Amino acid sequence: MSQTKGAKKRKLSLEKKHNLTGWIFLTPATIMIAVMSFWPMIQAFILSFQTGKANKLKFGGFTNYIRMFQDKDFMQSLSNTFFYLIIQVPVMLILALILASMLNNKNLRFKGLFRTAIFLPCATSLVSYAIIFRSLFGVDGFINSVLIKLGILNTGYNFLGNATSAKIVIIIALIWRWTGYNMVFYLSGLQNIEYSVYEAAKIDGASPMQTFFKITVPLLKPTILLTTIMSTNGTLQLFDESVNLTKGGPSNATITMSHYIYDQSFKYVPKFGYAAAMSFLIFILVAILAFIQMKVGDKRD
Amino acid sequence: MTKTKRANALMYVVLTIVSLISVFPLYWMLISSTNKSVDVSRGTMLPGTAFFDNWKVLFENSPVPSAMWNSFKYALILTFCALLICSLAGYGFEIYHDKGKDTVMSILLLAMMVPFVATLIPLFRMFSAAKLLDTTVAFILPTISTPFLIMMFRQSARSFPHDIIEAARIDGLNEIQIFFRMFFPTMRSTYAAAMTITFMNAWNNYLWPKVIMTSDESITMPMLVANLTEGYVTDYGVLMLAVLLCSLPTVIIFFLLQKSFAEGITGAVK
Amino acid sequence: MKRKILSALLCVAMTATMLAGCGDKADDSKNSDSDTQQEADNNAGDDKQEAADDAGDSEGGGNKLTVWCWDPAFNINAMEKAGEVYQKEHPDFTVDVVETPWDDIQKKLTTAATSGALDTLPDIILMQDNAFQKNVISYPEAFVDLTDSGIDFSQFGEAKTAYSVIDGKNYGVPFDNGAVIAAYRTDVLEEAGFKIDDFTDITWDEYLEKGKTVLEKTGKPLLSCQAGESDVIMMMLQSCGSSLFDDDGNPAMVDNAALKKVMETYNALKEAGVLVEVNDWDQYISTMTTETVAGTINGCWIMASIKTANDQSGKWAITNMPKLVDVENATNFSNNGGSSWAITSNCQNVDLAKDFLASTFAGSVELYENIIESGAIATYLPAGDSDVYGKADEFFGGDAVSAKIVEYAGKCPSNNTGVYYYEARNAVAIAMQNVVQGANVDDELKAAQETVEFNME
Repeated sequence: MSQTKGAKKRKLSLEKKHNLTGWIFLTPATIMIAVMSFWPMIQAFILSFQTGKANKLKFGGFTNYIRMFQDKDFMQSLSNTFFYLIIQVPVMLILALILASMLNNKNLRFKGLFRTAIFLPCATSLVSYAIIFRSLFGVDGFINSVLIKLGILNTGYNFLGNATSAKIVIIIALIWRWTGYNMVFYLSGLQNIEYSVYEAAKIDGASPMQTFFKITVPLLKPTILLTTIMSTNGTLQLFDESVNLTKGGPSNATITMSHYIYDQSFKYVPKFGYAAAMSFLIFILVAILAFIQMKVGDKRD
Repeated sequence: MTKTKRANALMYVVLTIVSLISVFPLYWMLISSTNKSVDVSRGTMLPGTAFFDNWKVLFENSPVPSAMWNSFKYALILTFCALLICSLAGYGFEIYHDKGKDTVMSILLLAMMVPFVATLIPLFRMFSAAKLLDTTVAFILPTISTPFLIMMFRQSARSFPHDIIEAARIDGLNEIQIFFRMFFPTMRSTYAAAMTITFMNAWNNYLWPKVIMTSDESITMPMLVANLTEGYVTDYGVLMLAVLLCSLPTVIIFFLLQKSFAEGITGAVK
Repeated sequence: MKRKILSALLCVAMTATMLAGCGDKADDSKNSDSDTQQEADNNAGDDKQEAADDAGDSEGGGNKLTVWCWDPAFNINAMEKAGEVYQKEHPDFTVDVVETPWDDIQKKLTTAATSGALDTLPDIILMQDNAFQKNVISYPEAFVDLTDSGIDFSQFGEAKTAYSVIDGKNYGVPFDNGAVIAAYRTDVLEEAGFKIDDFTDITWDEYLEKGKTVLEKTGKPLLSCQAGESDVIMMMLQSCGSSLFDDDGNPAMVDNAALKKVMETYNALKEAGVLVEVNDWDQYISTMTTETVAGTINGCWIMASIKTANDQSGKWAITNMPKLVDVENATNFSNNGGSSWAITSNCQNVDLAKDFLASTFAGSVELYENIIESGAIATYLPAGDSDVYGKADEFFGGDAVSAKIVEYAGKCPSNNTGVYYYEARNAVAIAMQNVVQGANVDDELKAAQETVEFNME
């Protein structure tokens, strides 16, 4: 691109020149993604049509793609993952948005402390947080003692031993861990909204609710889109919580797709072809959801 | 007036509760790191006296300083390179946007949608063939350019006023100069947020270094923590001290940067 | 301007690295895509050559061995001590231990073998016995056959050696002992009117009855374990020499009378409250340290965790586990966990590695005497006769615990793990969880077998 450009350069209109500059700006990043992500993805895609174990692979057409729909455990993991997605993503993002707009208040004191505190969970190492959550929700854990003292329960309830409550514990853990993370984007996005807009609204007599829905949300739309896509992607690829909090149990009730794929790759007799095929199902699901989200949210006004 | 006062009080209450819930595990880590292993597993919530013993055991048995240094080295180099490359791209995608670039952006987004487990083997093959295993380069390259960061800069460049660019062009600045002298300082809050997030992700990156790092000299803090949990006997006091040391840098970076991205900048835009 | 130059330089550097990476990559993929073993071997051979030329530190000289294992207090310590023992005869020998958690060893092994990059492996790895069959059968090219290495495998417990024998060939040198012990709090038993002898050589039925008495009088269950883990089930099953697979490697869960009995026994213990389930390992350990249970049953390595509560010294005693009722070949002995050393095919000096293992872990009573302090109890039978093993352990009431465990290990029946052991263990654990919730044992075993068969397809 850059060699041919020399002689013609002057003839190019300004717009074309800017257009070219744009391409140059994004070339390094694009090349890196192509080599580090797309190339391995193509390889994984080819692999997904191969069946067999360990290194004894042969071409199997769509066998793996058919197999996954007959795989009861994988289907269970698919439904678990969607359960998390539907409940956790909206709750977490709304919570993050509310906290961010609270913390954006100019007159608030101890802002730095509040912000750091709320961000802490995602900086805390997974090891400690898994231990803590398991002990909090243990049969004689903190949560049960509180519920018993309040008279809501008579004996300790095994939260992690029951399918539904274990799923809910995972969702609580996810919200606890990632709300502060998403709040960071909203806080930084809010800086691009001039404070005078809020002051004007206040003078016009708008309630905090109205300001939130009429000013904050619309102006943060690009950021909200970003976090929605990221969270959808993150939840569909959820791995850590399933592995560390519940080990997928009880009876696979909380196992996620990525956890199952990992087991098929590294814990069980390796089936990389099958693992790749299941990974591509996740890819397709995320792509469809992101496409819909982009269509709805990515308009330049 | 009383109404706003009540609303204000409510806000403080909510924020305090949320903060306490968020800080609890860190508090627990801190307390645990001062206790003996038995007391930790007995669920003590009070400070103990074993902190210096735990410290001694941890530093004698695990290469903490070198793991810290490695983690800092990998995370800082990665953060610097990633921010540079991705902010250039995000800026390029938005400021010079056209149909072609929007399409490229959508395609790039696809890159984050495949679980890492699937691309792990091809990536490993690539780095082992290039004889780059156990190196900083191998740690950095796979995540040096992420669709997520590019999109983050693209989304925030949307609020970057085009008049500034036009004015700068008239002043005779070239496009690269505009990026570094106008966009970069104006978008400090985005850079600060991106830096926090990228540093944190790099610091906590786990699966990839575990596969490519093959010597004791190149382990990172999260790997060191994992090593402590692998034995037949886990010393919880020592483990929690390591976990604490592993969490602190991200927290400190956040604390230092939070003003920059949350209280933003005025001057430049106005 | 400086920034501009820097960014330009960075881009160039990155692109160059990338292109270099791609070039190599293309060659490599050709090899690994083809099925022929030969090409893969050639490839591995070339890589080896290069690695040797590079003089990577793991291949330095001819007297150095690189080893991956994971516990500094335990197997790393043992490996280093072994290095010292060997150094006495071979002064220029060194062993370089890289601390690598088992999960990571498994990950690196799988990744390297799948990528055809065996040259990234060290000379010797420590392998969990449960994963031995799976890895050797999946990646035979990654390991060295030790059958004719001069190591006398008859010096080890038969059940232990069986884990690392594939198609009649030895691939591993047995290391730590996983013989099952039953540990009890004698003070709690006394409170309920029992002595440790009342729990020696008993059946599970007696265990249940006595457990109910203990629970009634002291409020403490006899046993705790992790929900969703199959350790207790597998210990019970192995104690009568039964397995989840038949000799041909086919799953044998349906109509497996022993397995059915095991699950019924477990369920009865759980229902009576003699056994409590906790959600994770940390909670399991804390049931002992916080004195909420009166005992435990596990591989002998659990002693190290029990001993962390030094205020309980003298209050514990060790005996054998209960045996199943109405099951053929039932014994009071079993195994849980343990690991063995394997030499990888990347080892440049196989003779050295073989000789090293033969004269240390498979030949030196002295080594085992040196490491018993750390709780590493030998599976090397001659070590059991050592005086050190006969020493009294005050924590366990002055009993000669180590000698006892070596004796237990010698009586333990073998377990046929098979290649799909992890799949099967997981399926059985799920079945057990459902049975505890009230499901029918036969139905659950059928479902478990179907899951394993599906995974074997």
